[in-house]
Amino acid sequence: MININTITNRETAGFGDQCPLIPQKDGRIPGNGAVWVGIYAEMTEFALMFLFYFVAKVQYLELFDQGPLKLNTLAGTLNTLALLTSSYCVAKAMACVRMSRLEAAVRWLWGTIACALFYLLVKTLEYQWNTERGIEPDTNLFFTVYYYMTFNHFLHVAWGGGAILWVIFQLKRGAYTADNHEGMEAIACYWHMIDLVWIIIFPLLYVLR
Amino acid sequence: MVTFLNVKVQDGVWLVLMVLTLGNAVIAESADPSLFVTMIIATSVALKGRLVLERFMELRNAHPYIRVSMNLYFFVLPLMIITVYLFPEVIADMTRL
Repeated sequence: MININTITNRETAGFGDQCPLIPQKDGRIPGNGAVWVGIYAEMTEFALMFLFYFVAKVQYLELFDQGPLKLNTLAGTLNTLALLTSSYCVAKAMACVRMSRLEAAVRWLWGTIACALFYLLVKTLEYQWNTERGIEPDTNLFFTVYYYMTFNHFLHVAWGGGAILWVIFQLKRGAYTADNHEGMEAIACYWHMIDLVWIIIFPLLYVLR
Repeated sequence: MVTFLNVKVQDGVWLVLMVLTLGNAVIAESADPSLFVTMIIATSVALKGRLVLERFMELRNAHPYIRVSMNLYFFVLPLMIITVYLFPEVIADMTRL
């Protein structure tokens, strides 16, 4: 039996595109159908928020030009780095499970939890920083949009983190294997969705003017 | 299916994502608004989204409906960013109650 941890180009040589160790375009549904209903619902919800942002922006150009300058760019950047890293950790955990490296997968998922906690802490401190400077949800329309969008996302990170903890628990009790990990993959997809939404929120609120 | 080869690619993708994010932060702190800056940011959003979708979420092997619809999200949103920058008054007129 081939130990996939030590696979090199030599093992894959001669198979061409049909090598079983190289991903094929199999047209499968990652995770399961149910999680994709949830992901599409969430993406639609955030799409409506983005649409509202664009409409509000063109109506109040000056507010949306000045707003990002008053926000804490460092906090936004740290949170972006944390969420992207958390997604990377989830992807690594998925790879480990498929290679039957279950303990390594758990370690990577603890990395995701650490990133999520870091995000939640930074966001909480950022809200506090805002309050000290008189920035509240009702300060103006830009900050109303900012608070609505970011707090909504904050909640997603919190319950998404809970789902990742559930995966860790399931991994530890041996519920997932290299051949059977649909539930873990579904939650991994959901977590990536949370990251994807932040990829859009960060430039809209902190960078674009 | 993720393999040894994919695992190495994921490391590189993470590094690219970090660099793009830090680049955006520098722009946020230093650059004045312009079409060029807006296009860089929109491109960065599209690229980051695509990298996460294809390499972390592994949609490059997924059913085409899922793959196309998710990728479309990261094509339409960057396009909207540029459109809003270019034609704010036209869109404001269209959306005024």
